[in-house]
Amino acid sequence: MLEITNIHKSFGNNEILKGVDLQIDKGDVVVILGPSGSGKTTLLRCINFLEKADQGHAIFGDIDVNLKTASKKQIHEIRQKVAFVFQNYNLFNNKTALENVTEGLIIGRKVSKDEANEIGKKALDKVGLAEKYNAYPSELSGGQQQRVGIARAVALNPDIILFDEPTSALDPELVGEVLTVMRNIANEGTTMLVVTHEMSFAKDVANRVIFMDAGVVVEEGTPKDIFVNPKEERTKKFLKRVLPEDYIFYI
Amino acid sequence: MSEGLNYQFLVDTFFVALSGVPIALLITIVALLIALPLGFLLALTRINRIPVLNRFAQIYVSFVRGTPVIIQIFIIYSSVPLLLASIFEKYNINMNVYDVNPIWYAFIVFSLNTTAILIEVFRSALSTVSKGQLEAAYSVGLTNVQAFRRIIIPQTLVVALPNICTATVNLIKATSLGYAMSLQEITLRAKVAANVGYNYVEAYIDIFLVYLILCSLVEYIFKLYEKRLRRYKAVNA
Ligand SMILES: Nc1ncnc2c1ncn2[C@@H]1O[C@H](COP(=O)(O)OP(=O)(O)OP(=O)(O)O)[C@@H](O)[C@H]1O
Ligand SMILES: [Mg+2]
Repeated sequence: MLEITNIHKSFGNNEILKGVDLQIDKGDVVVILGPSGSGKTTLLRCINFLEKADQGHAIFGDIDVNLKTASKKQIHEIRQKVAFVFQNYNLFNNKTALENVTEGLIIGRKVSKDEANEIGKKALDKVGLAEKYNAYPSELSGGQQQRVGIARAVALNPDIILFDEPTSALDPELVGEVLTVMRNIANEGTTMLVVTHEMSFAKDVANRVIFMDAGVVVEEGTPKDIFVNPKEERTKKFLKRVLPEDYIFYI
Repeated sequence: MSEGLNYQFLVDTFFVALSGVPIALLITIVALLIALPLGFLLALTRINRIPVLNRFAQIYVSFVRGTPVIIQIFIIYSSVPLLLASIFEKYNINMNVYDVNPIWYAFIVFSLNTTAILIEVFRSALSTVSKGQLEAAYSVGLTNVQAFRRIIIPQTLVVALPNICTATVNLIKATSLGYAMSLQEITLRAKVAANVGYNYVEAYIDIFLVYLILCSLVEYIFKLYEKRLRRYKAVNA
């Protein structure tokens, strides 16, 4: 459904992505792990054209594009298929929760206002914010804001949702509510590509885990492959650092 | 002069001064209509470091801010007619430069001046709106224009509004310098009335009052509008 080959991206002389390939099928929940600075965010941003890749090719369903030379129209078409959940939520500050969710429907996709409101309310209900339709972002906690962010993505009914460390800006006690929402939408069959440091989410929800380091995919496989039998030295080292001493992987 | 204020003159001249308000407002509105979009666009070239334009805007702002308005008026008022005269001559246009209504010069001076001020106002306001707002708009499928119109500009306006209000009030007050171009605005009208009987004190009091009322009203309208726009900031602001 989504196939990406040989993405390269540099900032100045600093090559951040050094030829990354990625294939995601419908219904996949793919988690990307990797140390800070390994290029995870940059990869997601290139997929959504928030950053222009220097080289690379992508197939999104029936759209086939060069990531460097994609036209405005192609970018627009792809963004209709791909939703993004940001690390720091990036809710529209001047819009209510419901307006945040309906904006992309009404303006981006020309859905009628009534229909958009209906879809938007359903999406907010789903993330447990039925009481907050008319709240502005400044009136919501971080966890609530990120749940609106997820509702905004879900409401667009995209082919895939990209998550960039959706819980890492949150106070620890708010992480759970967001992960629960993410588990729920994963269980409904949403295709997701998630950058996260939440190992339990990777272990329980992902069907594929990718370990990235220094701009390349070092290793990928099922959660069990990666967490129990990592093959690469770099993967082992990383896991040793991020997993608790007595961590036992069980299925 | 020692017999105190001439109250009848004070009252009559108040209305004379008042009759200059439409011209002052017309200049203010035309200047804002030109300066608001132009200032915003040039502020964008500053923020996004667009080559050439960014530099141009920067130099432009320092020129306008570094010189008194009255000097800008003198320069435009003396140079533009020369320019026009040579154009009229070249294309055989049968028109006298001195028939041009001075209000056109006022439009030019005050638009140029206000643009420079608003470039700086919008530049600082735009820098308070995070880049993530624009990226989120793109990610939900908005085009560049839609993202600016619906997300970026409303947020920029809220931040900029107090400074736009100040700029507008300063602009209204600066139109009093229009007398230097023999513009029939508030100050000139009252002064001309005063010339007859040397009632300058009364005339100045009237001018003072008219500007005070006008500027207070404008400030009040801005405050109302700001309150409406700020709704979404009610909690944390
Ligand atoms: N716009 C930019 N300009 C210059 N350098 C950048 C830019 N964006 C990212 N980088 C650099 O690219 C490298 C990779 O960044 P990226 O954000 O993709 O890493 P990451 O894997 O997401 O890390 P983290 O886990 O800390 O979020 C970093 O060294 C960063 O400094
Ligand atoms: Mg990152």
